[in-house]
Amino acid sequence: MKRTSIFAGIALAGLVGFAATANAAEEWGLDGEKIARFDAKVVDIACELSGDCPANCGGGKRHLGLLMADGKLILPVKNQDIFAGVINDLLPFCGKTVTADGLMISSKHMPLFAMQFKRPEGGKWARADWFGKEWSKANGGQKPGQWFKADKRILSAIKKDGVYGIPGLKPPKDE
Amino acid sequence: MGALNMKTQMLRLALFAGLALAVLAPLSAGPADAAKATAKRVKVTGEVIDTWCYVTEIMYALGTAHHQCAVWCAVGGIPVSVLGKDGKVYVVLKIEDEESAVATPRILKVQSHEVTVDGDLYVRDGVNYLIVTQVADDKGVVNMTHEEYGIQPFGK
Repeated sequence: MKRTSIFAGIALAGLVGFAATANAAEEWGLDGEKIARFDAKVVDIACELSGDCPANCGGGKRHLGLLMADGKLILPVKNQDIFAGVINDLLPFCGKTVTADGLMISSKHMPLFAMQFKRPEGGKWARADWFGKEWSKANGGQKPGQWFKADKRILSAIKKDGVYGIPGLKPPKDE
Repeated sequence: MGALNMKTQMLRLALFAGLALAVLAPLSAGPADAAKATAKRVKVTGEVIDTWCYVTEIMYALGTAHHQCAVWCAVGGIPVSVLGKDGKVYVVLKIEDEESAVATPRILKVQSHEVTVDGDLYVRDGVNYLIVTQVADDKGVVNMTHEEYGIQPFGK
């Protein structure tokens, strides 16, 4: 029940946007969350760890991290768009320092970061919702609010393997 | 005499510069090299999961019940992980010789599958990062959770 409420809250935030006043993170009601704002360099995580470093942090093909001055590597996994991550938000700043604002989440499984806003050094604050913006551009200007229900890659995957991931296994009609 | 002194001084300067470079170069190579040395070869068996939903426990995030949502999140660029039989979450950074582990057809195809992978493990600041060098086995979706949990998060 709690999970449903929390998810509904985040989904709503993703769909209608947070209050316009905010350039500061808001709580999402997740266990172990803590509002955090910090400066860090945008890095290609695989490059940072293994030394395999394509140009421009992989150009969107690599997961990106936030490397703090003390060497701590933060894993940002979520932005403000529903069901989306931070690659579009951070890629333009590859190798540069940004101020990230969001929720540091300490879970029993692992730590991670949900980014709500970012500001490049000397630049302006922007919402971390550039996945949706890019998706919209790539999809003829469709509104990104429910992008996951219109995305061709998703529709194709679900058509092929079904909602359960097993071809031919279908949900009962009342579900 | 003056020219000799200058030559000596330049030699000393060059020697000093060389020594300084030799000392500082390893330090300036940065954390990548330091971390590179910590890579460990591992074999991991477990379920391919969406990192965000599972770690935050924002919803039930395993098996058939969560398959569709896992596909949504993978296309959205959220990192995919393998939940090992040891209970640890391994964040996948690369798969075999593919350039990308972000929203590729291959990544979408293995959502919720039980797999066995070989790879290089990097543990950094509490996160297990995995560069998969070989997918040794793929059993498909075997975790039948939909009868108990329906379809997460919105139903059909």
